[in-house]
This record gives sequence, structure tokens and C-alpha cells, in this order.
Amino acid sequence: MSSSYGDINVSGGIGLDSESAPFNLELARRNSMIERQGMKLPRYLKTGTTICGVVYANGVVLGADTRSTNGDTVADKNCEKIHYIAPNIYCCGAGTAADTEATTNMVASALNMHRYGTNGRTSRVITALTMLKSHLFKYQGNVSAALVLGGFDINGPHLFTVYPHGSSDSLPYATMGSGSLAAMSIFEAGYKENMTKEEAMKLVADAIKSGVFNDLGSGSNVDLCIITKEGKEYLRNYECPNPRPYASQSFSFAKGTTPVLRSTMLTLKDVVVEEGADAMEVGA
Amino acid sequence: MSTWSPYDMNGGTCVAVAGADYCIVAADTRLSTGFSILTREHTKVVTLSDACVLASAGFEGDRKQLHKVLGMRQQVFAHNHGGKPMSCPAMAQMLSNTLYFKRFFPYYTFNLLGGLDKSGKGAVYTYDAIGSYERTGYACQGSGQALIMPVLDNQLKSASPLLYPPVSSATPLTEAQAVDLVKDCFATAGERDIYTGDAVEIVVINRNGVRRETMPLKLD
Amino acid sequence: MQPSLPSHHPLLGPDTAILAAQQQSASASFFHNQRTNTAHQDANSNAVLAPASGAMPFTVAPPQAHAPFDAGALAFDAAITNAPPGAPNKHTTYPYVTGTSVLAIKYKDGIMMAADTLGAYGATKRYKSISRIVPAAPTTLVGAGGEISDFQYISKLLTELNDNDVIRDDGVVLKPREVFAYLQRVMYNRRNKFDPLWNSLVVGGVDQATGEAFLGTCSMIGVSYTDSHVATGFGNHLARPLFRNEQRDDMTEQEARALLEKALRVCYYRDKNSINKFVIGTVTKESGMKVSEPFSLSTEWGYDAFVHPTKHALGSW
Repeated sequence: MSSSYGDINVSGGIGLDSESAPFNLELARRNSMIERQGMKLPRYLKTGTTICGVVYANGVVLGADTRSTNGDTVADKNCEKIHYIAPNIYCCGAGTAADTEATTNMVASALNMHRYGTNGRTSRVITALTMLKSHLFKYQGNVSAALVLGGFDINGPHLFTVYPHGSSDSLPYATMGSGSLAAMSIFEAGYKENMTKEEAMKLVADAIKSGVFNDLGSGSNVDLCIITKEGKEYLRNYECPNPRPYASQSFSFAKGTTPVLRSTMLTLKDVVVEEGADAMEVGA
Repeated sequence: MSTWSPYDMNGGTCVAVAGADYCIVAADTRLSTGFSILTREHTKVVTLSDACVLASAGFEGDRKQLHKVLGMRQQVFAHNHGGKPMSCPAMAQMLSNTLYFKRFFPYYTFNLLGGLDKSGKGAVYTYDAIGSYERTGYACQGSGQALIMPVLDNQLKSASPLLYPPVSSATPLTEAQAVDLVKDCFATAGERDIYTGDAVEIVVINRNGVRRETMPLKLD
Repeated sequence: MQPSLPSHHPLLGPDTAILAAQQQSASASFFHNQRTNTAHQDANSNAVLAPASGAMPFTVAPPQAHAPFDAGALAFDAAITNAPPGAPNKHTTYPYVTGTSVLAIKYKDGIMMAADTLGAYGATKRYKSISRIVPAAPTTLVGAGGEISDFQYISKLLTELNDNDVIRDDGVVLKPREVFAYLQRVMYNRRNKFDPLWNSLVVGGVDQATGEAFLGTCSMIGVSYTDSHVATGFGNHLARPLFRNEQRDDMTEQEARALLEKALRVCYYRDKNSINKFVIGTVTKESGMKVSEPFSLSTEWGYDAFVHPTKHALGSW
């Protein structure tokens, strides 16, 4: 296959040569056969989600909730759904977590490579959009990523939605995910053209909270990302409207509750501390 | 084309704990369908008498019908017996019969019956949708069952009903401790089960009668 | 000798045996016979309480088993569906002409209910002046989404129910929560027969004695609840988020109306089965029950990005 514009592989974005596709589909037929015979396929982590974005006078505000679900249970109470595409472009993802991660990562590295080849010129949002939608269209909806893409480039602020089948839309305000209707009701009732940054941030945060409180697939906290000509402001956990309601009594167990069969002591020397990462939340 | 089903799953979690001289029956107040919340203030707990409280999760239409039927039968029984309410073990058997009567078009409800037995001891009865039931020291039903049951097992391990001579299945906690534990269970389930939340209604039955209290849960 | 109803009466369906039993047990007074009209039958027949005779150990789902076979009903059914003889009764399995959301909130003086006036035939805007909010009792409004013919049948049931009150002439009339209780049983009973009334109902009103406002909703399978604000169908997704933010039981009529108009506008923007022609009904203790003339709302389609949809998408497709 020869290189063509809009095909992510050609830029070497995922480290494969241009002859191979991003997916190995050899066993797809076998899998669908044994699925018909009753095999249960593994369940994927879905981000039952509220994501949204708004264009205002000088830029774009993107927003997302932070709940990730696995069926009926909450898998992660504080995950990140606003993905990096380029310094001036971010993308909110809803759908299967692995697909939104992989798809946005592919485009991010493809654009990075592109900037290396073009004297570091600022990436355009339309390029990211075209890459995303051609990738998604190629896989006919099997890559289940529903995206809200926002950024600021030479042509000003941009906001797009991309559906899993590869259709896209350029909009002044957009929502996606299972909480999209709850968020959209806030936008339809409160959107104005040429809002200030503060107005836009409040509107987006209200829309995300509408998803958080009305949609069971969405929950926990509000993340915002503001992109302007000057740069981006990533406001992780901008609002945390869901504190635990009841202080847990401490469950202490008598020593020996779990019998110790064998113990070995190891002395570790090099301790690596990773800074800047979110601590996993363990409080129940 | 739309398809039609006579059932819906409206979520909800019920917990019951029996003590030496009390019984706690609790349920959250969220009513949901799919990914939508229908209302945040919906009781799933009905007080059938001074000695008997029923909580049910599952399909709201069936839950309402079941609670109406049992409430009505309890009233008829009391009228026929000089105002004396049905005993809790008797109500437990009747609930089983009522469920099994609809064996082939079941009430899609997951029930817990709590109360005091004739000796004033706490009693919890746990059911499946078609009337199989058992008296236990504690139980949990509904969407948060898988999250709460292991905690109860850990904190309240009760004697096997197969032991001879029989050992009381009632839990060793005091009433206040047990209420605390129930609150903790619901706060925890509310963190991880999307169908459990908004508020939890806790009904305590003891020799002084029936008391109801409510604690808010997360709204997301 | 009581007159027996014809067993093939199309409205009665397969439960005439139970109905006949009820008739026999009822006293012979005029009113009791009147009560065995369709309104009474739909709410109470096929009771799931233990049978008095003890003859039937189980209740069984009707369509699969079809235990008390009703040849009359089949003849009626086969005549219009060309179903082969012996085929089970064909019930409503999908709606034809449908209405969309009904929205309602409580406010200081009572309740306010709103809906559009469209009767959609699939994706066609077929009827544009359908009343989906109707009086159900002296201080009770009922609003309906879903199959319009089923709702008109429900309206008939409610008329019969009110006629009974008028005939009794004892000054006792139905309160909103009584209408609600009745409709819940009607809906649940029809779902038990696997013959649902394809509607979501909203019941709103004021108890004349206490002045207390009432608002409840019931789905076609009997899922029902009361709240300070309700919305059926799409409205549950689009309007309830606004209600949860802004509705208060002590809001003024102007505030309540502004909130409902905002919610209607959002529903009109995003629900493809809606039109910009609405009615609003109110029930208050002071001024009773009113349903407005149809009106439309202002809309905004002039945003720059709507007028120039490809302005930001140059270079893509």
C-alpha cells in the first residue's frame, strides 16, 4: 500500500512499517465463529461519559467527567478523558477506553512527526480531525471512539465532534457520551455567542455536572481544558462535587486474622519516585 | 421497531441485619432505568406491621403490586384476629407463597423481610424472585449485592443454620454499631455501583416499635 | 337474571370468565352493575391475589399459555389480521400514532404541565393539533406520551369513572392521587395481560381540600413514581436536568412558566418527533384547572457556526 494523505500509518505514528495495518485481524473470523458457538468475549472498559466543548470569543473550552465504568460498576473514579493531541489541540474521548486512548495517541504521535518534518510549525485542528475520521471510517465503527476535538490554530478556535463511524461536525458547542443529552440541555438553554472565558468555563462545568448528576454512566469530578492563542490551561479536577457522604468507621483486624505461612525480607536500594502522577484513589 | 418487555430493572440495594433484640432493614432511594435516574426519593421499604418490614429491589411495577398485596393481606389478617398483626415468621411464609404463586410469570423483585420473632429476637428472611427463602442473621439483595455481601460476611459471620445444637444466627453487634455498619455499606456501594445512591432509608425494629431514618448518599 | 356480556366483546378480551365471576358476586344494585363497565374491568380483572376458589395454583403469562381460550376474541382478531386459526391473540406490539414528551412541575399555586400537539405517524408529522393534556377529574390533569389511540381509550375510562361520581351525586370527587392510583393499576394490569396501553402518563393536580399539589408519572408497564417535577420519554433526558437545577416547590407562576418554556424549547431543538406548537395546563387551588390555547416559542438558528457550517472545516470533508 502506498502512502496517502490522511492514512495514519504512513507517518510511522505507531511504529509499524507502511505495509501493515494498525490491527491484526487474522483471528477475527475464527473469533466470530466461536462466539456464535457460545463463547463469551471479554468485556471492555467503557467510559460511560459526559464530554463537551464550547467555542468562546478567544478560544475553546473542553470538559469531561472522570468516571469510568465496567458494566454496572465504577472501574475508575478519577480517570482522565481529555487527551493530548498537540500542544494546541486536545481531544475528549467517549466510548471504549482503549479505543479512545489508542486513536488519540496515534494521531498525537503522527502530528508530532509531522511537526518534526515541518520546522515545528503549529499543527492544525483540521489535520487532526481528518486523521481521526479517516481512521474511524476505515474501521466502520468497530473502533468505538466518540470524540470532541478542540484546538486553536492559525485559523482561530475550532470545535469538532467525531462519531465512531467517522462522520464529523463543526459546531459552536458540542456534547458526546451517555451524558450528552443532559449536557446538551444546559448548552441549548445557556449558550451565547462570543462568551468570555469565565462564562464559557462556567457553562462547560455546568454541562459536565449535568451529566454527572443526571446520567448514571457519568460521575465524580469535572476536568476542564482551555485552549487559546496563548496556549492551553489543563484544569484537572476543576470541581469535585462528590465527596464521600459517610466517614467510614475503621475496620481493624486482629493480628493473625490472615495466617502468615512464610516470610522473607528483601532490601531494596534504588527507590524510584514518580512525580506528577495522580495517586490511585483507594478510599473505598 | 420498538420491542416490548413486561419487565424493567429499576435498580436499588437492600440490606438487613438481625441482632439479639433488634432488626435493621435498609434500602437506597434511587429509582432508575437504564442510565437515567427517574427519581431520587423513592421508598423501597414498606412497614407491614410493628414486627415486620419488607424491602424490595428490582422491577418497580412488581414491587408496588407485591407491597400492596402483602399490606392488604396483613390488614385483613389483623381485622380477622382482633387487631393482632401477623407474626414475622408467618409473614415470611406468606411472602414465599405469594412469590411462588406467580412461579411462571414472576414478580421480578429481590426481597428482604426483617422483623422480630415471637421471642423478640431479630429475624431476617432473604428470598429469590420465585419464593425460595431462608432465615439468616444478615442479608443483602439488589444491584449492590456483590459489593456489600462480602463486607457483611467479613464483619458479621454467623453460625451455619445446619449446626446442631442450633446456634443463634443473630449478629453480635449492638444496634448502634449495626446501624453504623449499614451506613458504611451503602456509602461504599454508592461509590462503585451506579444504581445505588441519592439516599439510604434505614428502618430499625426493636421492642419500642419501628423507627425510620435517612442518610444522604452521593448523587452522581 | 343478570344480562351476560357477549364473550367476544372486543374491549373485554379474554378475561370474561373473571368478569362474569365479579358480576355474580356483586350485589344486584344499579350502581354495582354500572361498576362492571370497562373502567372497572381494566383496573381490577385478572387480579393476582390468591384465587378464592383455590382452583388455579399459578397465574400464567397469557400469550404463551392462553389458558382460558376465548374463541370469540380469536374470531374478532383473525377477521382483521388474517391470522391462521389457533394463532395466539395479537396484541399491541408497536405504536402507530405517537406523542412525545410531557413535562410537568410543581410550583407555589399548584402544578403546571406542558406538551406539544403532534401526533406522529412513524417519522411523519401526521396530526398537528392533538390534545395530549386533558382534564381527568375536577382538579386533575392527565398528560400522555405514546400511542394516541390508547390514550384516547384511557380518556374514555376516566370519563366513565367521573360519570360514576356524577351519578352518585354525593359531592365526593376523585383527587389527583386517586386518579394516579387508578391509572397505575390500569397500566400494570394491562401489562400483566401482555396487552399494554402504549403510553407514559403524567398525572398532576391539586387536592381541593388541603390545597396540596400532586405530580406523578406511570409508564406502560407500571413503573411509577411521584416527584416535584416529572417528564416522560425524551423529556426525562433533556428537561429533567434543567428541572433538577431550577425547580422549587415555592416558585411563582411566572418563574414556573419560564422554566417550562425553556425546557420545551430544549426538547424542541433536540427531539426530532416534536413540533413548535405547545399547550400548557395548570391546576391551582384558587383558579382551578386551565389548558392554554396552542402557542409557539421563539427559536435561535442564527449562530455564525450554524449559518456557515463549513467555515472551520476547510480542507476536510
